[in-house]
Amino acid sequence: MTSAQVMKTACKVCGVEVERCAGCERERCEAMICYRCLRLQLGQSLAHPHVHGG
Amino acid sequence: MGFNDVYDYVDGKLDWLAAGLPTEGTNTLVPRAGDVARSDAPTCRMDETIDDVQERVKAGGWDACVVVNDEHVVMGLLRSKELEEKGRPVEHVMRPGPSTFRPHVSILEMATFMREHDLKNSPVTTSDGRLVGLLYREDAEREAHESHSHDDHAAGDAP
Repeated sequence: MTSAQVMKTACKVCGVEVERCAGCERERCEAMICYRCLRLQLGQSLAHPHVHGG
Repeated sequence: MGFNDVYDYVDGKLDWLAAGLPTEGTNTLVPRAGDVARSDAPTCRMDETIDDVQERVKAGGWDACVVVNDEHVVMGLLRSKELEEKGRPVEHVMRPGPSTFRPHVSILEMATFMREHDLKNSPVTTSDGRLVGLLYREDAEREAHESHSHDDHAAGDAP
């Protein structure tokens, strides 16, 4: 891998591509999680009730 | 309805909880991250040097320091590894924008999360980023275990 390439991996909860774990800030994590899922999992924010924002 | 003064907390219930403000009900008996986080954790400013900070941190028996601004908003974190970078300014060495957790998260959830992610400590902040304290995994696990044991005893006492 060249220095220009960035390691990509996926959130274990929703599958979205992330560069590092939002929980521990590591590039490799057994429980990789994205920022959004982290907030929802720990009840730090709520899922938006409507896609259209109503 | 018998209320004299009624206020509307416009930022919502979740923000109220996240600020560690008082709550009522049976759920308040559950220990939270904000209750267990060490509020006396050392802090430093970005314009200090690691040498000054390290001396202060080690003298107090700590192994981490939270970097804050004048409003006590968390800017970064210095863990053991960063505290060894002698002669350098804090700003250049700190882990910027660390993941932070809200005070209302249950200690059982925090203990599980910290174990899964192998986190030794994590800053707990209000939703506007102000430091509440530094939560250590050992404290979270101990408190979660005690809380769980207490629940088991309570269930055993029930007729």
